[in-house]
Amino acid sequence: MAESKSIKTIMDGIWRDHPVFSMLLGICSALAVSNKVENAIAMGAGVTFVLVATGVIISLLRKIIPRQVRMIVYMITIASFVIIVDRVLKAYFPEISDSIGPYVGLIITNCIIMGRAEGFYVSNNLGQSFLDALSNGFAYTYTLVAVAAVRELLGFGTLLGFQVMPEFMPKWVVMSMAPGAFFVLGTLIWITRTISGQTED
Amino acid sequence: MRKTQKLLHKVADLKIFSPFKAVFETIDGIVYGTPHVTPGAPHFLDHIEIKRFMIFAVVALIPTTVASVYFFGVHVLWMILTSYIVGGIVEVSFALIRKREIEEGFLVTGLIFPLILPPTLPLWAVAIGAFFGIMFGKEIFGGTGRNIFNPALVGRLFITMAFPEIMSARWQVPFVDTITSATPLTLFNAEGTLTGLKELLLGVGLQTGAGSMGEVFRIGIIAGGIFLILAKVTDWKIPIFYLGSVAVFSWILNMVNPQVAPPAFQLLSGGLLFGAFFMATDPVTSPYTRSGKVIFGVMAGILTVLIRSFAGYAEGVMFSIILMNGMTPLIDHMIMENKYRKSAL
Repeated sequence: MAESKSIKTIMDGIWRDHPVFSMLLGICSALAVSNKVENAIAMGAGVTFVLVATGVIISLLRKIIPRQVRMIVYMITIASFVIIVDRVLKAYFPEISDSIGPYVGLIITNCIIMGRAEGFYVSNNLGQSFLDALSNGFAYTYTLVAVAAVRELLGFGTLLGFQVMPEFMPKWVVMSMAPGAFFVLGTLIWITRTISGQTED
Repeated sequence: MRKTQKLLHKVADLKIFSPFKAVFETIDGIVYGTPHVTPGAPHFLDHIEIKRFMIFAVVALIPTTVASVYFFGVHVLWMILTSYIVGGIVEVSFALIRKREIEEGFLVTGLIFPLILPPTLPLWAVAIGAFFGIMFGKEIFGGTGRNIFNPALVGRLFITMAFPEIMSARWQVPFVDTITSATPLTLFNAEGTLTGLKELLLGVGLQTGAGSMGEVFRIGIIAGGIFLILAKVTDWKIPIFYLGSVAVFSWILNMVNPQVAPPAFQLLSGGLLFGAFFMATDPVTSPYTRSGKVIFGVMAGILTVLIRSFAGYAEGVMFSIILMNGMTPLIDHMIMENKYRKSAL
């Protein structure tokens, strides 16, 4: 059965060309903010919002952006929306904003957004770009939440702030530090690549 | 072919056991040695191979293992058993999934790992460390011979970072059930008290926590190390240059700054002897070039003294060996490069 273009776009985004698992994009922030599930959700939502907004703007403007300055246009678009996300977090979720602090600003440098803008939005129409942005954002978010769930369970014994593990369980301090993120993300990539049969030469 | 070996092969050929082919091949190898004959030179007179090689290392560890059971009681045996079972399960399952022979590295790793732990560590922590060390220290690199870091040290490093409060406050005084947070090294760092050398050497009459299980009976460690060197299983260069560099470097630093412990105490405290004889000499994770071994030993010694004297940790042997493991490919590469360039000119 030939799948329609929209289905293909969505499937590529959330599984086949998964930004974290198969392209290893955006892992810097995936490692940094995945220590607690609420941070992961906030970060995932922020990245998804910026992705969708950028996708819409760039795909609408793609015919009138001069080739020579397209990178700068992406940069300005992304930066504007990142500032919006930063302000909203500061205003309504000050605690989350404090704990993920500088990483919100660093969404600007998240390679997923730049990569999708250059690789997809600038050459596809509005509808496809919107779907692509949503599915990539979703893929990034579920990866982050999966890593964060493991790390929060072992590192703090909680899930979304609720005590899940029994109190006497010792906390794995290493899981709330950066090395823990490397182990969990590495194992996750290992599992997904084994499932999808994807190998690198 | 001996009768028993024929019987083993018959059992192994049964259909029910076909998924466990690797297990039988290992038993065969350990008990009967390898049947392979080299068709051309060089020939080896003795069919020594990795399995027998590893068994020599286990034999050398016997004195210190027996001593640690004597000092700290039966819990030690349970810790060793846990480490072997968990490490064995990881090793065997990887061998079965990847369809290759079981590698014997874990015979040594599984014994060394509990010996570098505090004697009162709960068994679940031993299990986590063994699982982690074998899995992330060895198997994901491709198994024995391909690992960059010593798997036992990776396991210990992981539980040191994951459970700092358990790892630093669990030192037991030999023969007594007292648990304290001080070892001779932490005591020196805190109060400047030097523990007597005779007590350190024999592990008897210590008033403080003694240290990791395997490092307390130092005469046994030295004997085991000399046995390995005489049996040509390990090379003498790494332990001698490691210990020598600790002695010289701490002697110099001690003259400049008396807050650094004197050489004799440095040599006989902590895990230095155990690390130098059994861990730094691991053939996989240490350089294979001769001058590389010297560099490895000297650098590890300097790092150990530096970490012991100036870092937040009282013991630096684990970190220094792991850091030097990471340097090993670089050292070998530099030495080979240097040699080739010289001969080319």
